[in-house]
Amino acid sequence: MSKDKDYEFIQEGLSLHINVGSSDEQDALRQLSRRFTIRTYKEGEELWNLTTSSGQLHFILSGAFAEYLIDARIAHLLRFYPKNRFAYSEDLILYSSKPKTYSKCLVEARVASIPAGTLAEYLMNEQLGSRLLTSLIELSMTEYRNTTYEMLQTSGIHRISAALEQFPDVLDLIPRKELADYLGISRASLFRSLKQIDNG
Amino acid sequence: MAKALDKLVFDFFRGLPTYTSDMEETVQSIVQSFDAPITKPKGSIITELSPPNKDFWFLCEGYLKEIYKNPFHNQDSLFNFIPPSSIFVNEDSLFYNQRPQHYYKAYTDVRITSFSNERFQELKKKFPAIIKLYLSGTAEIQKNRRSRLLMLRMPNTIDRIEWVQSQREDLYNKMDRVTLAQYIGVSRASLYRAFDKLEE
Repeated sequence: MSKDKDYEFIQEGLSLHINVGSSDEQDALRQLSRRFTIRTYKEGEELWNLTTSSGQLHFILSGAFAEYLIDARIAHLLRFYPKNRFAYSEDLILYSSKPKTYSKCLVEARVASIPAGTLAEYLMNEQLGSRLLTSLIELSMTEYRNTTYEMLQTSGIHRISAALEQFPDVLDLIPRKELADYLGISRASLFRSLKQIDNG
Repeated sequence: MAKALDKLVFDFFRGLPTYTSDMEETVQSIVQSFDAPITKPKGSIITELSPPNKDFWFLCEGYLKEIYKNPFHNQDSLFNFIPPSSIFVNEDSLFYNQRPQHYYKAYTDVRITSFSNERFQELKKKFPAIIKLYLSGTAEIQKNRRSRLLMLRMPNTIDRIEWVQSQREDLYNKMDRVTLAQYIGVSRASLYRAFDKLEE
């Protein structure tokens, strides 16, 4: 895929989160999308990890990532980043603290990234910047809300159904053991529930 | 607002991680912009947040249940339990200009006060730093959601109960068992079995 096409995708992704009015704002968004750099990640490679010191805003052009939260030295699968989603360490970008999470590539991916410093410069100088940041945090809030809906279901089958509503590809993206951990159910319960879903 | 309530709101904003002393004037303007508090009796629905309300609400006293329509059960379910000195909003209306999917119900008698969105927009022009407070307040809610998700993914009910006891002690001491079961995403039967084990 050509780089121009990639930049168009980034611009489209950004414009999903910012209501662009004037042509000046369109130009500002186009310029911002051109400041992203694009690279390919192999399965298992990390977008950021616990020792990363400078944040980046990533836009997933293709492939998929998972984010893991470390608690009591155990990694818990927190959420997924499929194609056309923004991914970033909230700790680095929003809370100005060391990352408590890391993000790993599940399926070979092409990712556009912009360093937090460059983004901050944009956020300070452009009216669109604060709208972008506000939108990103609101989007993140909504994602957590949707994931909380999944986790509030008391039965395994309802948890899987709620997860599939949010991430239709989830069964193809992650191994069953990780999926059981993500859903907070045992592997046996996961397999029973999947069988029930298969049987309609 | 009465001085004691002013102080509560002041303390909330001064406690945000991004607060710095040069934001004092901004915070004072916010505090002065809150309406006179209103009291709602235990069990009542906070109708003031009916659509299209996009205001920022502050819970001065008492506890609120945030409730949503659970698509997998034919009844409304608890989404969150909100302690005093918290901000609460209609996320769907505020973020996406949509009808709210959640509503709030007084778990105890409550006192609430609001800061209008129109006033927020006015203050944003005069005090650009207000956006930092907005982002910081949102980030705090988000952090709470993230850590609660860890609990909701624990496969063992006893572990979930112990998480609430240690991490949300104030809520644990206030919630009845039905509310606790909903808060930790288990059935009432599972909760009672877990308490029986804890008492053994």
